[in-house]
Amino acid sequence: MILEANQIQKSYGNKFNKQEVLRGVSLSIQKGEFVSIMGASGSGKTTLLNVLSSIDKVSNGTIKIEGSDITGMREKQLAQFRKNKLGFIFQDYNLLDTLTVKENILLPLSITKTPRKEAENRFTKIANDLGIYELKDKYPNEISGGQKQRTSAARAFIHEPSIIFADEPTGALDSKSASDLLNKLSSLNETLAATILMVTHDPLAASYCSRVVFIKDGQIYTQLNKGEQDRQHFFQDIMKTQGILSGVQYEH
Amino acid sequence: MNINQLIFRNLVKNIKHYYLYVFALVFSVCLYFAFVTLQYDPSMDSVEGTIKGGAAIRVTSILLIVIVSIFLFYANTIFIKRRSKEIGLFQLIGMTKERIFWIIGLENFLLYFGSIFIGTFVGFSFSKLIILVLFKVTGVKGIAKLHFSEQALVQTIIVFAVIYAFIMLMNYIFIKRQTILNLFRVTSSTEERVKKISVFEIIIGIIGITGIVSGYYVSSKLFEGDFQSMTELFGAMAFILGSVILGTYLFYKGSVSFLFNLVRKSKNGYLNINEVLSLSSIMFKMKSNSLLLTIITTVSALAIGLLSLSYISYSSAEKQAEEGIPANFSFGTSKEADLFTDQLTKNGIAYKETTVNIIMADINIGKILEAELSGLNFDPNMTTLAVVSENNVKGVDLEEDETLFTNYADALEKFMALKDSGEVIIETTDQPIPLHYVGLNDVPVVPYLYTSGGMPTAIVDEKVYEQLNNNKNDELQLAQSTYFGIDIKKNSEVEKANDIFHDLKLDEKDFNLSRYDMIVSNKANMGLTMFIVGFLGLTFLITSGCILYFKQMDEGEEEKHNYTILRKLGYTKGDLLKGIQGKQLFSFGIPLVIGLVHSYFAVQSGWFFFGTDWTPMLIVMVVYTVLYSIFGLLSVLYYKKVINSAL
Repeated sequence: MILEANQIQKSYGNKFNKQEVLRGVSLSIQKGEFVSIMGASGSGKTTLLNVLSSIDKVSNGTIKIEGSDITGMREKQLAQFRKNKLGFIFQDYNLLDTLTVKENILLPLSITKTPRKEAENRFTKIANDLGIYELKDKYPNEISGGQKQRTSAARAFIHEPSIIFADEPTGALDSKSASDLLNKLSSLNETLAATILMVTHDPLAASYCSRVVFIKDGQIYTQLNKGEQDRQHFFQDIMKTQGILSGVQYEH
Repeated sequence: MNINQLIFRNLVKNIKHYYLYVFALVFSVCLYFAFVTLQYDPSMDSVEGTIKGGAAIRVTSILLIVIVSIFLFYANTIFIKRRSKEIGLFQLIGMTKERIFWIIGLENFLLYFGSIFIGTFVGFSFSKLIILVLFKVTGVKGIAKLHFSEQALVQTIIVFAVIYAFIMLMNYIFIKRQTILNLFRVTSSTEERVKKISVFEIIIGIIGITGIVSGYYVSSKLFEGDFQSMTELFGAMAFILGSVILGTYLFYKGSVSFLFNLVRKSKNGYLNINEVLSLSSIMFKMKSNSLLLTIITTVSALAIGLLSLSYISYSSAEKQAEEGIPANFSFGTSKEADLFTDQLTKNGIAYKETTVNIIMADINIGKILEAELSGLNFDPNMTTLAVVSENNVKGVDLEEDETLFTNYADALEKFMALKDSGEVIIETTDQPIPLHYVGLNDVPVVPYLYTSGGMPTAIVDEKVYEQLNNNKNDELQLAQSTYFGIDIKKNSEVEKANDIFHDLKLDEKDFNLSRYDMIVSNKANMGLTMFIVGFLGLTFLITSGCILYFKQMDEGEEEKHNYTILRKLGYTKGDLLKGIQGKQLFSFGIPLVIGLVHSYFAVQSGWFFFGTDWTPMLIVMVVYTVLYSIFGLLSVLYYKKVINSAL
């Protein structure tokens, strides 16, 4: 069990004007799983990702990652935790403009003070896996969106974190780059046994996962397991569920 | 909420946000008003009157306006840019550009004239202190009492109203030119596109460093006699100025990123937090600020240099007077000298009288000059010098064929060095007298009237003097050829003696000199120069420090998303802050160090004329460093806020 969230609640605002975003979400993720969270805008999926990834604090409930409870941790411990255990991929890439591709990817290793030689080896491997080795000396504004997102993915994987959080990683990509990236992610998920939790509203992206969690109004609505079926069927399942979720009634 | 409320709320919110801008504004008004109050104050007449300081003060106040307005324009461009989003939002909800312009204008109006109001009062109380300092350094005995000058107030208001009008014009053009989309995007569009260092930039970088270093090298060689003719010397000076300024510009433009890039290459992609925040960011930012930084470093080097040198000449005012007038009082005729000594005796002041006969003669010193100087408007083979007999100089005993020179001004000596010995020829109406030059002494013998601005005096044997006296060239002689020196025995009585000198109206004759008067006027002149340079220098320092700080504020906002990323990756606030401190060390440190080194070389060249003195330069440099460090520290605090809010 990599991640275990128990009855987490999150609300914004003060006593008189309270906005409840998460109303008791419980979720557990096994090692090596590729899970996606789906939901309409405002359903709380990004908030869920933020609290699970320690960027935001919960109002109530507990989150355990690899057995340690992160809800009670202090700022410094959290930073320590993030740099060792977590990896991030964001919709808008979040690369530093002033660093080259290689420098960006090596950042997480530099925080953990990994030996240089080791860092070099890991970089070569992950950059080759993602097909961006040739771009290593380019700056972010010299490469395409797909390449940026693969750089961002390389940065998330390079320090072999316990779990990788991806927030709409395909949101800003064209369909070709998006499917490229998703293929890479799922193959890394298999070869490295990396655990990935992805937030998306794109059913196609979700269909690459092994499990899809739907949330609505701050609560888990339902879950779909891919199981043995192929991606095409899983995609249709997701579409159907999403239809129900968004309130489209099937009339007979 | 109606428009008025909107304006008011904006104002309140912005004051919190732009406290430093408001501070800068209050500060500028305060300085300007203090200075103008000084200008119009009746007690200043004594300073202005005695030393024609009026013109100097007027020029200073104009320079002050220039510095302040450039500073305010600059600050405004930074702050209007930061508000572009807000302006875009107003446009989006359907306000016309004119309307927005009026809102911004009114807001600025309140801000401006509020600051002027505060600045005027602070400036008024401040001006008392300033006038005390001024009186102290110029040695003027006046009572520092101040009147609130309406004239000064009106002038201040007019000046700042004009600056306000210009700023509004700038804002108007800014708003007019922008589309809604542009306004939302403005912060990112001004960022320089990050790209690879090209070969061209490497060349620029190398040229920059070479320019600065060669400028320094030439300046250290300037007075070592390597440059023989006047044209060569001026050429060398122009070269130093040009190559250092251009070098500085190219240094910021290319060298910094070139050097940083070398460091970065050696890391092979593996950067720690300090390098991430400082190296990579400064590499690109310094390039786009190169012109600004060049101006800041050059002008501050100039200010430090001038201030140090004017302090040196201020503190050497007495020495200069002693070299210029050998005794406390000097007279051209025995009648006047007797008139004076009679009065001294009556007042019970003990004195000592010396009488020196002086003959002006053309002397060929071409053979004892260290270097062949061409291009000067005088002929070394026919130099008119004062000649005195050995009997008039204590402790000097010369052979018949010898001559000793004395009291050669330091600056001239550096310029036209004399050999240790050699042959000189005194021209007479009869036979020329060849003499053997035996060396240089530094005792002053005759007043400055006879030395044409620092040339040495020749001491010869009594017999030679007689010979010359019989065949002297009458055309060269001055109105008086005898100098009567009166030395007051007790230093404490010099001032009283000086009063007698003035009471007898002896100072109205050309050949009557008082050393005391000379010290006072030297001090007053140099004191005023020092005061003005110091005032302008301080203003410039503070405004340029503010500008660097504003720049850093801007950069902090632009880089905020970087801090978000880094914090998400697991860097703590402390890690980031450490990195930022490193960055600020470079952002403020590079211009600081360059400015200091520039000024060191400038002052070093000046030492040839003004005499070597480390203390004033070090004091000024420390003040400069402390002020810059304060701004550096403030910017780190600002970054801290940005980092805290980044996640």
